[in-house]
Amino acid sequence: MTFRQARWDEPSVWDIGPSTEPGEVPTIAGLPERFRRKQGLRWPELTELELVRHYTRLSQMNFGIDTSTYPLGSCTMKYNPKVSELLARRPGAADLHPYQPEATVQGALELIYRLERVLAKVTGLSEVSLQPAAGAHGEYAALLMVRAHFRDRGELDRRTEVLLPDTAHGTNPASASMAGFTTREIPSKDGCVDVTALKAAVSDRTACFMLTNPNTAGLFESDILEIAETVHGAGGMLYYDGANLNAILGITHPGRMGFDVAHLNLHKTFATPHGGGGPGAGVLAAGEALAPYLPVPRVVKRGRRFHLDYDRPKSIGKIRTAYGSFGLDLRAYAFAISHGEEGLKQVARRAVLNSNYTAARLGKLLPRPFRPLVKHEFVLSGAPLKERGFKTLDLAKRLLDEGVHAPTVYFPALVEESLMVELPETESKRDLDRFIEAFERALADSPENIRTAPHSLSVSRIDEVRAAREPLLSWKDLRAAAPKG
Amino acid sequence: MPRWISNEPGEEAALLGALGLSSVDELFSDVPKKARIGRLGVGAGREEADVVHEVDRMLDRNRPLSKFANFLGGRIACRYAPAVVDSILSRSEFYTAYTPYQPEASQGMLRALFEFQSLWVELTGLDVANASLYDGATAAAEALLFSRRLHEGHRFLIPASLPWEEKSVLQNYASGPGLTVEEVPFDDRTGLLDLDFVRRAVATKDVFGLLADVPNGFGHLDEGVFELKSILGDVPLVVVADPLSLTVLEPPGNYGADVVVGDGQGFGIPPAFGGPYVGLFACRKEHARMAPGRIVGASLDSEGRRAYALTLQTREQHIRRSRATSNICTNESLMALAFVVYASAVGPKGLAALQASLAEKARTLASGLGSVEGLRAPRFDAPYLSEFTVELRQGDVTGFLDRLRRRKILGGHSLADPRPGAPSSPARILVAASEAVGEKEIQRYVTAARAAAASGGSA
Repeated sequence: MTFRQARWDEPSVWDIGPSTEPGEVPTIAGLPERFRRKQGLRWPELTELELVRHYTRLSQMNFGIDTSTYPLGSCTMKYNPKVSELLARRPGAADLHPYQPEATVQGALELIYRLERVLAKVTGLSEVSLQPAAGAHGEYAALLMVRAHFRDRGELDRRTEVLLPDTAHGTNPASASMAGFTTREIPSKDGCVDVTALKAAVSDRTACFMLTNPNTAGLFESDILEIAETVHGAGGMLYYDGANLNAILGITHPGRMGFDVAHLNLHKTFATPHGGGGPGAGVLAAGEALAPYLPVPRVVKRGRRFHLDYDRPKSIGKIRTAYGSFGLDLRAYAFAISHGEEGLKQVARRAVLNSNYTAARLGKLLPRPFRPLVKHEFVLSGAPLKERGFKTLDLAKRLLDEGVHAPTVYFPALVEESLMVELPETESKRDLDRFIEAFERALADSPENIRTAPHSLSVSRIDEVRAAREPLLSWKDLRAAAPKG
Repeated sequence: MPRWISNEPGEEAALLGALGLSSVDELFSDVPKKARIGRLGVGAGREEADVVHEVDRMLDRNRPLSKFANFLGGRIACRYAPAVVDSILSRSEFYTAYTPYQPEASQGMLRALFEFQSLWVELTGLDVANASLYDGATAAAEALLFSRRLHEGHRFLIPASLPWEEKSVLQNYASGPGLTVEEVPFDDRTGLLDLDFVRRAVATKDVFGLLADVPNGFGHLDEGVFELKSILGDVPLVVVADPLSLTVLEPPGNYGADVVVGDGQGFGIPPAFGGPYVGLFACRKEHARMAPGRIVGASLDSEGRRAYALTLQTREQHIRRSRATSNICTNESLMALAFVVYASAVGPKGLAALQASLAEKARTLASGLGSVEGLRAPRFDAPYLSEFTVELRQGDVTGFLDRLRRRKILGGHSLADPRPGAPSSPARILVAASEAVGEKEIQRYVTAARAAAASGGSA
């Protein structure tokens, strides 16, 4: 083991300088006295260099794709091209206000329009809105569209149920419930939707079936056409959770599979950086039935000019301010046109090849619960580790000591002690082999070392139970908890 | 074609060989033939230089804010961000990371987020902030749902002066659980909330929350907010606040706010034609377990050192699924980092001084525009900071703003809901002062407005 993360004894930003006593608040003409802050903001005054060192040191205590293989299942942690970062910072992109007159933002509208056309082709669904800020946000917007559709048909009182497979991402049931639907889980059979159970579950109460394909077990739902027929036969809508789209780019698409509406995570498939937990972009694509309900405005082209079109009487309205995260749209567009037809297909082909290769190698170390052929990700079970006196969580921590990130753990829940592994197309064979060797070394370590891992990071194992039981959630809490004196 | 995927000779064959396969096609044998597609029709791939050229060709058709005397605002500020902000955001250890599910490997981002939460707590006077939401409007919407968890009822009160986009987002989040968003009228002279309306509504016992924005949708400060908590009693008070204004204004936690939300865009995040931005959310400690979104907490590692992790996760979708407090998963971590770096780079004194200087400019602008025949500026008789509302006595907003634009002035934005079928509204424009405008730009605006208002009247 040769990896060691930086371990700076770095104070929090308020402990760098000598004092953070609040200052005076300036007088503002016309401001009523009761509105005036009595004490200035309590926050440090630092030099720029102090600040730069502080955040540079913090950054050195953080894994990113640029430092490490990052095999988080269902997160598609692929390389984020630098050219996209360059372009997003152009004044013609960053220095634009969303309420500028249309005539002054023709280029931005054109870019949105063009990206929407690319995404329509990739999804096989005719109309696209870039408005939602993340996958879960797209799910919520789409479910509101489903509601509006059934309200128009006079069926909303009856169609109150959203069906989901038991492998669904947690956001699916959460979004369905926020949108006022009840949820019902469809059991899996060998890791895929049990079509017999689905047929028994659909009814005239079914509003929507939410599915990701390939699913979170990494398996392609080969019965997809029968699933679509079943849901549509009952009058329901079929929703595509695009978190796992990377595996099928150019091979199939939601439209061909029979989906009515889909969200895509630009921060997964289209390589916009995930930012340590956002920003994301959960753009929506809809077929004929649901397209009229997409959020406004829509970007349209009339002659050679681009316009923001608010004249969509059936639209659900706004799901956030403005038109979406333009900075991410631009990055995604650069990614898509760089790859083009063959490149996008190669993304899926290589991601699936990487995943199958790694699955076959790691499958010799830990059991794989389902059929061997997977798509972009695969699931291992850490159940046998218990005999050696440690768990999946411990193995994940020990992997970090190798300088690679851990897979997603304890999801999907239908596999005991699961690890969900995804190695996107940007990892070379050398990267894969290094990851596999790291996995092998981690497993071969002593149970004691594994149970107490990590040993090479800026901190050792964190007591997460304590964090939840005695919450310290801000500097204010830390001040209150500090011994007086 | 970019070198983002390895194409080393023999590599693919070696990977396939290990699987006993001869073609990648075999890996897709589980995709039924009827589900396959032909070509996407997206064109051939391109070299990096071509891509840059193509995107720049489009961006060159935009006219950035710097080309104008710019008075746009409306909770999306045009504010200078010191270079240090983007420099730190460009650390790829931050921007290429995922949500910190493995805290030991992600202390850098977790600590930055803890600092971000702490800053929003200090600004608002509340106890607990989350690690960000999508934007100001969705943060307000989450506050609506949060209020419903704290209090029974079906009606949520909002000011009629709230920007139409925020109203629409709130309605969309209320519609799922079958809740009603109801507008509180405002006084025509001052634009301030009708407190008697609030009293009557609360008396029905069916109100589960009220949202007040400080400054309000017209840019003004409503002294009525100090009375709200005594009217509402245990009905939650949600305050939408502008972060910069909170460096000089009484923290809403001190006048009874149970939740304070806002958009952090003005702190180091460019307007970027709509995003990404960052939603801010803070609440009281006793309600932390009902809050939406990620929360970072401080704990200890096994050697007793201070260490940080995502906490109170049993509220969240990946654990609680359909009973989660929110569906949010990806939030806006990197933008939260921008927020805290910006505030620390400018410093508390610099921030308050900036707000004071913007308020000063806004007053100069208001008095200038107030002297223009055909304009009512400010339209409402109430205090304000950086923004205020102008009303045209005759003519339409689009024509007026177009005439200004031809003189290289972005004179603000229309407050009207642009959707056909929306109720017609008076010709009102929200005008904002920014660092980039000085005496000269203000004078240009006043002169151009005089001409534009005159020609609008004669049209």
